[in-house]
Amino acid sequence: MSITRRGFAAVAGAAALLRTTAARAETVLKQIWIGWPDEQIRPMVEAFEKSAPDIKAPYERIPFAELSHALEVRLGARTPEPDIYSCDSPLTASYAIRNQAMALDDVLDRTRFARAALDAATYKGKLYSAPFATSSQLLFYNRALFRQAGVEPPAADVSKRWTWDQVVQAGRKLADPAKNQWGLILEQAERPYQLLPFGQSLGGVALGEDGLKAGGYLDGPAFVEGFSFLQRLYTDFKIAPPGVVDNNITPDLFGTGRTAMFIGGTWNLDTFPAKYKDLDFGVAPHPYFAQGKPVTPTGSWHFAVNPRTQNRDAAARFIRFMTSDDLQVMWFGLRPYVPVLLSTWDRLPQVFDTPAWRIVRYEVSNTAVPRPATPGFLEFEDLLRQTLRDLQSGGDVKQMLTQTAQKIDRELQKYKS
Amino acid sequence: MRAPAWVPFAFLAPALAGLLIFRATPIGISLIGGLFGTSLTGETVFRGFGNYAALVQDGEFWNSVRVTLLFNLVINPLQVAAAFGLAMLTAKPGRFVGLFRTAYFVPITVSIALTSVLWNILLDPGMGPVQALLRALDIPAQPFFRGQGQALGTIIAIASWRGIGYWMFFMLAGLATIPRESYEAAALDGAGPWQRTRYITLPLMRRTFAFVLIADTAANFLLFAPVYIITNGGPNGATSLLMFAAYKTAFTYLDQGRSLAISTVILVIIALVALVEFRFVRTEDAP
Repeated sequence: MSITRRGFAAVAGAAALLRTTAARAETVLKQIWIGWPDEQIRPMVEAFEKSAPDIKAPYERIPFAELSHALEVRLGARTPEPDIYSCDSPLTASYAIRNQAMALDDVLDRTRFARAALDAATYKGKLYSAPFATSSQLLFYNRALFRQAGVEPPAADVSKRWTWDQVVQAGRKLADPAKNQWGLILEQAERPYQLLPFGQSLGGVALGEDGLKAGGYLDGPAFVEGFSFLQRLYTDFKIAPPGVVDNNITPDLFGTGRTAMFIGGTWNLDTFPAKYKDLDFGVAPHPYFAQGKPVTPTGSWHFAVNPRTQNRDAAARFIRFMTSDDLQVMWFGLRPYVPVLLSTWDRLPQVFDTPAWRIVRYEVSNTAVPRPATPGFLEFEDLLRQTLRDLQSGGDVKQMLTQTAQKIDRELQKYKS
Repeated sequence: MRAPAWVPFAFLAPALAGLLIFRATPIGISLIGGLFGTSLTGETVFRGFGNYAALVQDGEFWNSVRVTLLFNLVINPLQVAAAFGLAMLTAKPGRFVGLFRTAYFVPITVSIALTSVLWNILLDPGMGPVQALLRALDIPAQPFFRGQGQALGTIIAIASWRGIGYWMFFMLAGLATIPRESYEAAALDGAGPWQRTRYITLPLMRRTFAFVLIADTAANFLLFAPVYIITNGGPNGATSLLMFAAYKTAFTYLDQGRSLAISTVILVIIALVALVEFRFVRTEDAP
């Protein structure tokens, strides 16, 4: 085991040496990006190469579903490649503690970033990832289906935010499971990212004791109640289709009119009109429990730099370029994530002074709660994700959460020292 | 003229090298690596049998052992029997035999990953065409991969859909080696089709059965893609095969040593099962 790793590192080292001598004039900066459509990435990388003629910046894209595991394999080899990779913001601590991400404090100017994005990028007081995008979720609804069913749609106003009970009432009038017609679908229907607010809205905290303890938290009363309600959307109210969890498919169910409501990210604001010409949709704030408080998901993709990179300088230039004012405006035009720079909001007034973005702006500064800060997020997410998928087809939620918490605690043990 | 003694080895070298690189080395890595662990920052630490001791107390691991054994207890006899049955049906020359043989063989040309993606879509509980078919036949919707009681069975079904045709060809080759005279002699002595199968085909097919059974078992113990692509080990651990548990332990739980210990356990189980199977199908002239 150790022998192969060392052998591999030696070969990789030799290869790197050969490369630097062969191409001294040009630095090659390799990146791994989350698998957004190429036409949304290419213009930014091309702009970078134009601004830095001495650097070649080849990149590869890895689909969302595979990215975290693929990065484990690639970074696990502990070679200088890739130089830079897309880092899911809650994984920052995991990469930092395992020496897979370089501290970026002297690369970035903290004052330019939104507070929540900085928090997600910080581990033990240092910046280990560069915020590139953050996120928020909206309730999308199909105007035509609401009209047909004679249901009054929710208002695009945070003071008239729907409760979950209102969503269920409307959903029941809009759904007809026998005809595969549904009231509601959640974009990432098995991801803690989107589903943690069910418990957080009722006062729950998923992990306690410095993010290293799930037992007593994840299986506490708030999450049991919140996730039991989530289960009933599928098993009892029957307004959501169980087992449809692929986030490549869920927006299509809404786009094609199979479901009347959809809770999803801001990126859909652009893709829906482009992909479904006939879709007439409106947006409203994320629902909440009447007995709790509004909570919305947040956090998104950052960049991290491989600490073994042999192109530190070029990597720093890349990070600065990708978080520059101009590039962030360009990025917003390519794929409308919630901005991480304070300047972006001011530079695009005509965009942000619209109903959807007025809601989002309120959410990110008032209701957004990040995923738990833990070095064991990879393990936490994977184990909870399986449970969130399983509970859609029934089962005792309290028991499922207790078992999950036990498994998580076992895996978190290694971070206690 | 006699060739020097090293010549046969030269011819064997490529195959031996392959065996060494792709079989012996990984086995060595997993045997040794199972005794070590990796710290969070990548340093290797000696753990002795600590990984195995942890596995013994790990309920998830025992669930995976149980699921893996159950899976193999069903899928291997099923595939071998079905492959033999199809081979018997398509052994005799006939009008459409070529067509049927091709039809049975075609699924193997689809990679296991693609098979998984394909059937995952076909059997999707929300939008799968199979559900539409069930609806049309007035059969209630089935959860398939999403149902705790059905998931493992559904994986067995799709793996067999792909695998049976492949093993059928080995059975056909085995059938072709049985001398025609044996059947003719038996027929003259008044043996019917059933008796001919029971007393001639089956005994003379023992070596083929031995090969197919053992190769199929090894392949099925290592089955991974459908679990990774479709079920992620769920629902509730119902499809958590050991191979997937080993993968998840390394790349989600970030514990290389424990993962290699699981790999070693798989290796030992396969070796034991193969030993039992050898005894079961032993012939006088075969090992």
